[in-house]
Amino acid sequence: MAEIQKTWRDGALRLSTLPLLLLMGLFFVIPLIMTALLSFQGTQYYRLVWTWDLKVWTDVFSQIHYWTIMWRTLMMALVCTVLCTILAIPIAYGMLHRLSRWSDHITLLMVFAFLTDAVLKTFGWVLFLDRSGVLNGTLEAIGFPPAAVNVLFTPNATMIGMVYNLLPYTIFTIALSMARIDGDLVLAARDAGASRLRAFIEVTLPLAKPGIWAGAVLVFVLSLGVFLEPKVMGGGTSPLAAELIRQSFETRVNWPLGAALTLVLIVIGAAALTVFGAVALWQARRVAHD
Amino acid sequence: MVSPIIKATGIEKYYGTYRALSDISLEVANGEFLALVGPSGCGKTSLLKILAGFEDLSAGSLVIDGKDMAGIPASARPTRMVFQKLALFPHKTVAQNIGFPLHLAKRPKPEIDTAVRRMLELMHLKESYLNRYPHELSGGEQQRVALARSMVSQPPVLLLDEPMSALDAKLKKSLQAELKHLHRHVGTSFVHVTHDLEEAMMLADRICVMRAGRIVQLGAPSEIYYRPADAFVAGFIGDTNLLPAKITRAGDGFRFACEILDCAEPLLSADQVAPGVAAGSEAALMIRPEMLRLLAQGENAECTIVGTVNEYFIRGASIQYRIAAAGTEIVMDIPGTSTLPAKQGDAVRLGLALGDLFAVET
Repeated sequence: MAEIQKTWRDGALRLSTLPLLLLMGLFFVIPLIMTALLSFQGTQYYRLVWTWDLKVWTDVFSQIHYWTIMWRTLMMALVCTVLCTILAIPIAYGMLHRLSRWSDHITLLMVFAFLTDAVLKTFGWVLFLDRSGVLNGTLEAIGFPPAAVNVLFTPNATMIGMVYNLLPYTIFTIALSMARIDGDLVLAARDAGASRLRAFIEVTLPLAKPGIWAGAVLVFVLSLGVFLEPKVMGGGTSPLAAELIRQSFETRVNWPLGAALTLVLIVIGAAALTVFGAVALWQARRVAHD
Repeated sequence: MVSPIIKATGIEKYYGTYRALSDISLEVANGEFLALVGPSGCGKTSLLKILAGFEDLSAGSLVIDGKDMAGIPASARPTRMVFQKLALFPHKTVAQNIGFPLHLAKRPKPEIDTAVRRMLELMHLKESYLNRYPHELSGGEQQRVALARSMVSQPPVLLLDEPMSALDAKLKKSLQAELKHLHRHVGTSFVHVTHDLEEAMMLADRICVMRAGRIVQLGAPSEIYYRPADAFVAGFIGDTNLLPAKITRAGDGFRFACEILDCAEPLLSADQVAPGVAAGSEAALMIRPEMLRLLAQGENAECTIVGTVNEYFIRGASIQYRIAAAGTEIVMDIPGTSTLPAKQGDAVRLGLALGDLFAVET
């Protein structure tokens, strides 16, 4: 299929990107520059002072506390990404191939769950996991000791909430990628003597890689910024970066510090994404076809 | 037939209430090249999928290589399929694609390597292709890789699902010749699905013509061409003349009456009449375009047709005439000549040997 090569010489094309450029400029580039500028100011008596020094930055780099939180955030994001991906692959495959008759219904249910407000869902989990909540009540009724599951207000509960809220992103991207695989390829593998599992490993999985990587990147970026789950389900005992930034801005009213921490998080995210992106691109090239 | 490699008995296939195949019984001899031919939706692809194990049969039995195939998945069958869209693995190199069946069978690496190179040679593929990906090859080369992959483990039966339908005419011709050569060389049984009867006639030892889920006729190419079971089979290839006629029994043979065809002695022998016609069905006389010839002034033939030239097409090796005769258009192919024997609007007389006629059911 012939592809029309577009160049920046095309005036109409440049014009058509103008609204997007304006939008990105106004709401992404300018705020980012403002944040960067803000990090070189100071505060006195809860008021912003235009000082133009590196005080905040020396603060950020000298306090191990901030870096502990940044490290924890990065690790939580990585674990969450891995869990979401591992869970989503069999779910997406099952939805498409084993339960194909119900795949529309499953998709609809997932979209409903996905569109339900995250605050509601997260508090729902609190009711479910509470010491005297639904889960423990049920377990007790079938003979387990009272309060058998005691994960609420721990980092594990935060992880449960994160995986639950972010799983749809990986399921949808992976299912989309798997649905695009020509069914004849799987049949060809079966015909050549492969069991179902073998055909999945040899054909479906490698060809779904672009979707797997896309889902992983999406979940990783989103999980770097979570604050609801650590606060509500983690009980605020081990805050993550977003909570730290919120506190700097709102509780401590130290905007320059908040701005500096924001930039640190952005740099960490961007660095991780660069690595992700390079690998994903390399994978996509290997699968390039048609 | 000595121990057929495929023996299908009374196969039926339903999709819900839709009957895709009814009462398919056929045998394929070891090393035979069988073509399954029919218009789209005739069930030929369904039958192939049943042979491959991609679809279950609703009734009947299927024995391949001496084993009942009931409950045996595609992965354990002695068949290999060449897919219509080839289904080469885009993420695997040519070498990995060809060697895939052996890789699955956990053969040692040197053995796979040798087998892959042997297939490469057999398919006239360059050795430099081994590490390329399928999308880096041309259509014809991809075709050869697909064939190589399905032949590498030397299966007793090769199933081909219209693998040449996407190729341009010239490439198709050369690959058809190669396929026939390959079949002779390896001695595997081929079951080849196509909607192109010409292709089937070129390649196959026997042709199975299907329509609406049933076998209409099963026989050698010449049988299908010269002794078609009915008007459907007769009209399936090329431009065939079917002239309505009245057939009546006359002693051992048959007498016919056809207003377009003028014969001194309108008699047919028993083998010039399809069984259905002999039983009294409506009939038509089949005349292949190349059976007709242009008669010169005063020349005579056993049967003649008088008409005027409507249109002609110069095809190089042959010239095709379309001639209006008593309200019907007759198609005639004659060998090409440098001087045109008749032009548009000319009154012509066509000659035909009585023995070339064949009466089919309509």
